[in-house]
Amino acid sequence: MGNMKIKAKLKGDIVNVKVMAKHDMLTYDQAKKKGLDANFITHVSAKVGDKVVYDVSTSQFLSKNPMFKFKFKGASKGDKIAITWVDLKGNTVTEEKKIK
Amino acid sequence: MDRRKFLNLSIVAAVAVPVGLSAIDFRATKPDTWTAHTVADSIKALYGDIKPDASGVTVKAPKVASNGGAIPVTVKSDIAAKSVALFQDANPESTVAVFTVAEGGIVDYMLKIKMKKSGKITAIVEGLDGKFYIGSQSLEVALGGCEG
Repeated sequence: MGNMKIKAKLKGDIVNVKVMAKHDMLTYDQAKKKGLDANFITHVSAKVGDKVVYDVSTSQFLSKNPMFKFKFKGASKGDKIAITWVDLKGNTVTEEKKIK
Repeated sequence: MDRRKFLNLSIVAAVAVPVGLSAIDFRATKPDTWTAHTVADSIKALYGDIKPDASGVTVKAPKVASNGGAIPVTVKSDIAAKSVALFQDANPESTVAVFTVAEGGIVDYMLKIKMKKSGKITAIVEGLDGKFYIGSQSLEVALGGCEG
């Protein structure tokens, strides 16, 4: 826990979602300088129930602790949105949040 | 093959299939696009030889970004889209992100990116009609965000 901050709010029939993932997002260049392995989030997806509402493959050029905002239709108040990210090392983190 | 083995195999196969069928991992399906060094090459690796229409896609970013480490970029479009790809020309590799648009999805994505120096952000929208649309925005970066 504590790997992600999620805010999901229903406005009319559109759900506005804000996600902040806690991740260093070390690019290959940065990692070389610091003597560490590069590691960054490579995939983020969001689901309501079993329906995918957001899906993105990402590169090393997202900011540190990257933030995502997106909108979608077809969910109601109280539904749970589950956000999952996967990084280069294969770590997977999923967190759920109720839509307000 | 005996029955027990067959059952085991089918369980493994079921686990290996991703749950969301509409989700595409572009890193696995299009590996070349992530290592291409120019925007044109990245687009080619991702979508092939396309001639995108310069309309219908809005890329919003600050004209001057004081911190290149976290530049908010918004891509918006009213086109019924299949996928959206985001590129920039300031970093060693060009591709930033590729979105798969869910059915009935709204193309209004914001994310924060890093840029080493001033450059241009390009977004390509792949429409459900099979056409491609392009939008771009140039910006100045005061302080590079990739630390060399």
